[in-house]
Amino acid sequence: MSALNWQAVVAGVGGQGVLFVTRALATAARKKASRILISEVHGMAQRGGAVVSHLKVGGYSGPLVAAGRAELVFSLDPGEAVRNMAFLAPGGTLVVNAPDLDFLTPQAREALAEHQVRAVCADAGGLASGAGAPKGANVVLLGAAAAAGALPLATSDLKDALLLGQPAGRKKMNRKLFTLGQGAV
Amino acid sequence: MAKKRRQEILLGNEALARGLVECGVQVMTAYPGTPSSEILPAVVRFGKERKNPPYSEWSVNEKVAVEVALSAAYTGKRVAVAMKQVGLNVALDPVMSAAYIGVTGGMIMVSADDPGPHSSQTEQDSRLLAHFAKLPVFDPDSPAQVRDLVAPAFALSERFGIPVMIRPTLRVCHGRQSLYLRQPKEVERPAKFVKDPFRWAAIPKMRLALHQALNAKLAEIADFVSQSKSLNTWHAPPRKGARLGILASGVAAALARDVLAELGLDVAGGKVPFLQTSVPYPLPAGAVNELLSSCSRVLVIEETEPVLELLAPQRDKLWGRYSGHVPSAGELTPDVLGQVLEGALKQARVKTPRPRGKVLAVPDQAPLRRPNLCPGCSHRAAFFAMRRALPKGVYPSDIGCYTLGLNQGAVDTCHDMGAAVTFASSLSRSFMNDGQDTPVVATIGDSTFYHSGTTGLINAVYNGARFVLVILDNETTSMTGMQPTPETGLTADGHPGRKVDLIKLVGGCGVNWIEEVDPYDLGLMQKTLKKAWRHAKSKKGSVAVIIARHACAAQRPQDSMPVMIPVQVRGPAPPALARFDAKANPCADCGRCLAICPAGALRRVRKGSIKVDPAKCTGCRLCAEVCPTGTMVLAASGACTACGLCTTWFACPALKPDAQGYIDIDRTWCVDCGMCLEVCAQGAIVRKGAKS
Repeated sequence: MSALNWQAVVAGVGGQGVLFVTRALATAARKKASRILISEVHGMAQRGGAVVSHLKVGGYSGPLVAAGRAELVFSLDPGEAVRNMAFLAPGGTLVVNAPDLDFLTPQAREALAEHQVRAVCADAGGLASGAGAPKGANVVLLGAAAAAGALPLATSDLKDALLLGQPAGRKKMNRKLFTLGQGAV
Repeated sequence: MAKKRRQEILLGNEALARGLVECGVQVMTAYPGTPSSEILPAVVRFGKERKNPPYSEWSVNEKVAVEVALSAAYTGKRVAVAMKQVGLNVALDPVMSAAYIGVTGGMIMVSADDPGPHSSQTEQDSRLLAHFAKLPVFDPDSPAQVRDLVAPAFALSERFGIPVMIRPTLRVCHGRQSLYLRQPKEVERPAKFVKDPFRWAAIPKMRLALHQALNAKLAEIADFVSQSKSLNTWHAPPRKGARLGILASGVAAALARDVLAELGLDVAGGKVPFLQTSVPYPLPAGAVNELLSSCSRVLVIEETEPVLELLAPQRDKLWGRYSGHVPSAGELTPDVLGQVLEGALKQARVKTPRPRGKVLAVPDQAPLRRPNLCPGCSHRAAFFAMRRALPKGVYPSDIGCYTLGLNQGAVDTCHDMGAAVTFASSLSRSFMNDGQDTPVVATIGDSTFYHSGTTGLINAVYNGARFVLVILDNETTSMTGMQPTPETGLTADGHPGRKVDLIKLVGGCGVNWIEEVDPYDLGLMQKTLKKAWRHAKSKKGSVAVIIARHACAAQRPQDSMPVMIPVQVRGPAPPALARFDAKANPCADCGRCLAICPAGALRRVRKGSIKVDPAKCTGCRLCAEVCPTGTMVLAASGACTACGLCTTWFACPALKPDAQGYIDIDRTWCVDCGMCLEVCAQGAIVRKGAKS
């Protein structure tokens, strides 16, 4: 087992499947590290629309990511990408459900470049809607992230995680959406 | 028979439940409350792996839950009870006596804390209440650890005959971690109640003896805990002459280790002695003394109140909340801990090899997303009707989803479970005694009413209070994850239960004015509210109870919205202001327009004369709608005029104003409930496809 140390923040708004993405990443990471910690949002906070979860894989003790330490910020919503950008480590990767970074001010784009952030953009929402599954943007964006090499995980493990425990129809759809995402970058 | 070890990524609450089931828990009780709600359902789920699953119940409130579990432990059973930290306040009465009297079986009380707070009224620290009640308390740092602490907690409880508290915080409860599952143990202990009235029914004189015995017991427990290697972990051993040491417990201890590693101070490297205890009370004095004797200063890291700091000896050596090194409110996030640790290390002149991470700062603002009721939620309709029917009312409310009626200006107080009823009884009496006609309309959810509403209602009826109580009955406990209420008769683990009828219960409290309404019928809801208030304020009036019943839109959308009613917003139209025109139609001086104006734009100049402040009038048309004489004039435009009435009084996430305030339907949120059709006084919200 290669010892992976990896910190990620997954963000979005209620109903986009933030927790599903986090759990899929965690499940796929199990082959790479024995210790996995996640922090989720439940209760009143969930009613607010903004949902965020933290994922720490490897030699960590606590479940929260510190500002400036996440190798990956994965956001299903551009606004939530803004909210959670401060978690990005220098040289980290921002994966966002948007066709490009035009949702940011020029100053913000400059700051990202200075922080040496790599941005992976994909209109996952549009692609998922086009495929008849508007709630499947999360799986499309995962496919895009995997194809762009933004995840230190084996793509086959990630695919397995996306299918784990899903009914047959969803399995087929998730496969399709993931492939769609892979082709988007 | 070697079985393959099963590894799962469990939620902290599931891990805790797993520990309870693996240790053979026989009776499990709880009342839901974030962040503790997932414990009991997981006990039920894992319990099915056993030949004899535990008896599990959602109790009506936390006091009841503690008493049910505690008395089962009087018969020798292994029991557990779970609640959130403010639930512990409700349960404090039986909890205070629990340590004195003790148990013959094993008992774990779980009280989940919420530093932040994220979903609670207070940031209180249950460990302080454990200390107050003289109960040993465990403070886990992770999902895996909370599972692993269940066995020693039961062992301690049974060895010393005392209930033991486990205090996880939100980050433990709602953390997830990979862990290996163990085979659940079958504990077979037939109920055996040994009569001992001097203990179980001790009179005050005996209580003194029990208290003395308890103190002796606690001293023994302190020794036992102090000597335990597994309950006290030296992440870095004590080192003579260390400038700074760390004493920590709970999830903050885990995060502090990560922060130290990021600062380049590998904890195991041993530069900073680091003692983490899983049992803050009774304090493991031996280990703590060893740490304090070896270090010049000791920084105490714990959430949320100073407990280790309060109990530890050599107070002058401690850095923590009393010395101002650790903030006295709020969660100890990695960023807060980073500042605390960096500051303390610097002050103690301990070099850190690496600075804290460089943080990306952007000028862009993330969108404001305040918590809101779900689209399609019937509470929204009830709140709108309250504002519309009794606009000058005072609206005490309670704890649950419906606290979010705040967004509609229909929640004026929110204090503790059941306070809507008692607050309403007292507020209305204050107004009435002073001759003020201020409608008081209280709202409380069904589960909260069963939890703590009835005592206040009995008190109100008995003492002749007069107000309107709206029981928002969606037949579930929605905020915490749709746990069943007594109204449904469904039980946590499927054991036979019986329905407790809400209307009969309200009638049994002595209420003689009860009406049931579906709040989706906004017109009827308004009429009923007015009628209820007329009854309440009349000379022979009493408490008037409206049961606003509609299925929860999140739990049972098909029952909540059996017919899809897609809507559209017509417009935009230019804004227009209300006019007062007494020439054609003289004013009756009824004051209805003054009462309803949401903008405070109307002023009574003299009898029969109203002045409209054009700077304040939004043109919402409510004054024209309520005016019986046609003196207030504003024609319905049939199109959106950006008046803002729907956003302030209805606050549906699907009604999105643009920069100018004109409304459009946000289809990602809209569930086609059709409720908003009756909201707009301009008639701008219409069925999709309707002709103008």
